[in-house]
Amino acid sequence: MTTPTQATTPAAARTRTPIGAPGRLENDAKGGVGTSPQRPDGALKVTGEFAYSSDLWMDNMLWGVTLRSPHPFARIRAVDIAAALATPGVVAVLTAADVPGRNVFGLELSDQPVLADDVVRYQGEAVALVAADHPEIARQAAKKIRVDYQVWEPITDARAALGHPTWNRLHDHPAEDVELSRSAAAIHPKGNLVRHLKIRKGDPDEAADVVVRGEYSVGMQDQAFLGPESGLAVPDGEGGVDLYVATQWLHVDQRQICTALGLTPDQVRLTLAGVGGAFGGREDLSMHVHGCMLALHTGKPVKMVYNREESFFGHVHRHPAEMRYEHGATRDGTLVFVNCDIYFDGGAYASSTPAVVGNGGTMGIGPYVVPNVRIDAYGVYTNNPPCGAMRGFGSVQTAFAYEAQMDLLAAELGMDPIDLRVRNAMAEGSVTPHGQTIDSPAPVAELLQRLREMPLPAEPDGADIDLRSLPGGVANSTHGEGVKRGVGYAVTYKNVAFSEGFDDYSTARVQIEAHQGNPLVVVHTAAAEVGQGLVTIEQQICRTELGVENVIVHPKNTDVGSGGSTSASRQTYMTGGAVKLACEAVRDRILTLARDRTDAPLDDAALVDGNIVTPSGAVLMSIADAIGEAVIEETREHHHRPTEEIDPETGQGFAHVQYSFSAHRAVVDVDTELGLLKVVELACVQDVGKALNADAVVGQIQGGSAQGMGLAIMEEIVVKDGKIRNPSFTDYLIPTILDTPPMPIQVLEYADPHAPYGLRGVGEAPTISSGPAVAAAIRQATGLPLTRVPIRPEHITGT
Amino acid sequence: MKPFRYARPGGVAEAVRSGAEQPGSRFLAGGTNLVDLMKLGVERPDLVVDVGGLGLDEIVVDSGGGLRIGANVRNSDLAVHPAVRRELPMLSQALLSGASGQLRNQATAAGNLLQRTRCVYFQDVSKPCNKREPGSGCPARQGDHRNLAVLGGSAACIATHPSDFAVALAAADAEVAVTGPAGERTLRLDELYLLPGEHPERETSLAPGDLITAIVVPPLPFGTTSAYRKVRDRASYAFAVASVAAAIDVTDGVVRDVRIALGAVAPKPWRAHRAEDALRGLEPTASAFRAAVEAELSVAEPLPDNAFKLPLTANVVVSVLSDLTGASR
Amino acid sequence: MQLSVNGQSRDLELDNRTTLLDALREHLGLIGSKKGCDHGQCGACTVLLDGRRTNACLVLAVTCAGREVATIEGLAGPDGLHPVQQAFVEHDGFQCGYCTPGQIMSAVGMLEEFERGWPSAVTGEVQPAGLTAPEIRERMSGNLCRCGAYVGILAALTDVASRS
Repeated sequence: MTTPTQATTPAAARTRTPIGAPGRLENDAKGGVGTSPQRPDGALKVTGEFAYSSDLWMDNMLWGVTLRSPHPFARIRAVDIAAALATPGVVAVLTAADVPGRNVFGLELSDQPVLADDVVRYQGEAVALVAADHPEIARQAAKKIRVDYQVWEPITDARAALGHPTWNRLHDHPAEDVELSRSAAAIHPKGNLVRHLKIRKGDPDEAADVVVRGEYSVGMQDQAFLGPESGLAVPDGEGGVDLYVATQWLHVDQRQICTALGLTPDQVRLTLAGVGGAFGGREDLSMHVHGCMLALHTGKPVKMVYNREESFFGHVHRHPAEMRYEHGATRDGTLVFVNCDIYFDGGAYASSTPAVVGNGGTMGIGPYVVPNVRIDAYGVYTNNPPCGAMRGFGSVQTAFAYEAQMDLLAAELGMDPIDLRVRNAMAEGSVTPHGQTIDSPAPVAELLQRLREMPLPAEPDGADIDLRSLPGGVANSTHGEGVKRGVGYAVTYKNVAFSEGFDDYSTARVQIEAHQGNPLVVVHTAAAEVGQGLVTIEQQICRTELGVENVIVHPKNTDVGSGGSTSASRQTYMTGGAVKLACEAVRDRILTLARDRTDAPLDDAALVDGNIVTPSGAVLMSIADAIGEAVIEETREHHHRPTEEIDPETGQGFAHVQYSFSAHRAVVDVDTELGLLKVVELACVQDVGKALNADAVVGQIQGGSAQGMGLAIMEEIVVKDGKIRNPSFTDYLIPTILDTPPMPIQVLEYADPHAPYGLRGVGEAPTISSGPAVAAAIRQATGLPLTRVPIRPEHITGT
Repeated sequence: MKPFRYARPGGVAEAVRSGAEQPGSRFLAGGTNLVDLMKLGVERPDLVVDVGGLGLDEIVVDSGGGLRIGANVRNSDLAVHPAVRRELPMLSQALLSGASGQLRNQATAAGNLLQRTRCVYFQDVSKPCNKREPGSGCPARQGDHRNLAVLGGSAACIATHPSDFAVALAAADAEVAVTGPAGERTLRLDELYLLPGEHPERETSLAPGDLITAIVVPPLPFGTTSAYRKVRDRASYAFAVASVAAAIDVTDGVVRDVRIALGAVAPKPWRAHRAEDALRGLEPTASAFRAAVEAELSVAEPLPDNAFKLPLTANVVVSVLSDLTGASR
Repeated sequence: MQLSVNGQSRDLELDNRTTLLDALREHLGLIGSKKGCDHGQCGACTVLLDGRRTNACLVLAVTCAGREVATIEGLAGPDGLHPVQQAFVEHDGFQCGYCTPGQIMSAVGMLEEFERGWPSAVTGEVQPAGLTAPEIRERMSGNLCRCGAYVGILAALTDVASRS
């Protein structure tokens, strides 16, 4: 590879750059949109050279640690830091009083203190910070901080927090409404309701031939990214700070940090360090403000790295949900109405709860056409751990309920569950419960029909059975006698990008110059690469749009405009779109330069293989010759078409810019005597509009499918009395490679005319439909209702 | 982690002397459990005596099929040993069902036996725990006890023993060879492990300085007809929710002898003598197996969230014995 | 103490409490071995210790005197990537990459264990001639990958196993 000149000048003089600060990504791979070139960070990742946020290092740095509340709800009477501060090696101990700006942050609502001031609202809330010259000294010193708590009884039931009747519900037993003997205390000044979304469409009292009712609950899932929260804050000596951190959205971090530090954006510069997985768990702040506070206070670089246990307290989780559904249909299986109540337990602070309620509510009945709908979705404050973004946010929970309902209805009607779904499937032109007409392909029926046509894995049959294929493996199952196979289906949809009137955009800067006779492109965005392969996509788009091979990906930082969040399946759509726009602007300037060198008409010229070519393919000149000594740089924002806030009383409005559709078929063998499960196969059909990188698309589907499966069969943060009982990877289990089955995948490409290249966001939809399919398969195998996930051995074997 | 002195003795005698002289010392071999607990602050030794360099890593098979397993034999080496796989499949299966390839490469045979409980209260030093802090109380009965004991517990403690290997050893009537300040002795597994009673902090009968040097497995002629079966929340790399090691001898259509040990249900590997007694002389049928194990579990004291272990354990026992005998169900 | 890492002897002054993982990462600057859980529950820190795959987070460095440590940094040869590294790249065996060094070192150790004829929990009475998918899955289950790149990892290791 060649060595380019700097694309941009750093915003501030950075005389001190940490070891492990990201460099430019460059590789010899080729291939534009529609191919699957190797990723530019691939070689670095397999050799161990790729540095993550926890690998950052400066020789003179301090280590920061966080003291967290052991209580889910308490008043802080006093904090005594004297003993901690007197510990040799300790450089600083900071509390709420030391927050330089406003002691508040929050993704959607600014409701969370940087450091708890007078009240702690969840176990694990940050109370104080310590910086020392060794992490162990800092940890020991933090234990010497004396916090005098007046402990209050925590509010841990979402319905109780709202004063609604609680659902006194054991596993698979119908709920009884229990009126509260007293009203719950307000956790926040404005009460415990974060958001109540109401959808009212048609007549909810419309008569139906058949009605099925069910209650469902979903446990709290953890993102469980392998690389824990970490970062390094470096003071600039002039009152500002550079923060290197693993995150999902640099600019929203920057905004919140500035508020808390009382600084301006040019004083708080962020660079994306290597990200060890995200899945929503890095959309909120973790060590960001804390590290900067310690760095500014001490004048030294400060590194903070959470350990695994702290990580369980250091980020938001997936909202647990309690849901009650009622579906009515005609005898022939046409849905007449759906009524539902959905409670999302948001925990102590809002985080993304409003958006989770928005998604969970508006898409709360699945991709079906229903004339009469009543949905009440609530997001609630409790003293449980805060919940926010996780892949498929809001939709993962409701999908378990509405797809179980569809199976229940099919059974009640004596219909094939796929036929029932196909009969009611949404299509292009259909109107959603929130009154939005689907204005791009919506191949729900086709997804299901294709799944049905995919060959099933071979049935196990006594004599020839490969014991290794049984639940538990060769030594561990009942060897066939108690093993029953189930097949389950689920289809879901999910909004892509940010919704409900949010001005969602991303920014890209693209630079081109001729280097040693060849055109060389540098693409610079602030859009976080968290493993999904956005850096590859950025290269591919540049190659296609500019007809060049060599594309360097600039480190992600706040020297360029916001890339928006790496969440909501939005980056290929939004940042990909921004890169495309910037490339088009660069192309226009190349052609302008070319006009100085040729009289040939260039209006229809294209950039191909390093040349400017006519529509017939004739080479007019090389791009390098056109550029000459110039350095062309263009920056563009890509905004998606506007959406609307939905009506607060009826829930109607053009809320979402795009939908992504996926369907799964799960085949599960269940050892009904031992409670063991083996997912034999997890097949998926998904419409991605246009696969910019087919391998990356498949990787997203596989990864999302595995996470959805994990929630169905093993993953749950167990919270009792507001306290997390299993903050470790021994007690919080995620799927291993042994749990992960073959995944036949069909990718459909029905272009969305509103999106760049016609693409659809990919990452979340498979996380949503896989779990409900697995749960359905287990229900089919066992005949049990299994209305709560995760499903554990005892739910199958009984007590 | 608390600071500690580190000693690397040159022989067993020196190791024993070091361990006996320093209260609060710990022997370190594979370290997969001790180092983990030291990081958590659960173990806080003043002296760590590294016995990893003492050898003690041979597997000797005697002519009768008995085994002498050096204390430092790695779990993986033991699991894959041809004689172990041939003579006592349940031992190999138990080892291979535990932890991960990496951990089995590091963990030793004796260390496996002396693993501490996975009870979440024991592991969390901010919580009371009678085992860790005698007299501090036990929140498990009212709190999180899904994984805890239904047999052999006490008011003070219902922790379970986490080992798979020890369950298979219990079924095999294994003994441990111990060298201590007073010399050498052997302990049967049911002499090694103590039930919690009022003193859950005492898990074994080992005194300071007592070092397990070997595990002795007597010949078990019907050990070839043995199996270990483990139910867990994940297909691999997870502790047992319920497990069974069993060996059975069916001669002339009746159960001549049988060994059954239960895992994940008690503070120690639970040898199911009552079930064994009930089965001897009976025809090997699923209903006989079920009646036997239900007799064993009749003394259980389940709590709301771990009561499922009773039917589950019964199912596992019936399943294992049925497979070993070919009994139809 | 002296620590032999990737064939090189390194002199270190370490507190007794230092794990092998911390010695590698913080004293030798070998950041390839990752700390995902620090309790032997994820496999991201897998190294070869005397040729055997081991969780470096649960090994005290002081116990490693005289032993040979191999890390991801020493795996690629002068001619380029190790076949397992190459296969991970070609088969998309990772996304975020955080677990990848541990996956790769674990795989290298696992392939060697299989060569030695070691059975696994899914091996029947007869060892299969080649590494089958169930064998690879069982043997690699001590390495968590949250991105869910397991299908790619399986393909990569199936590929390597078929070539060796």
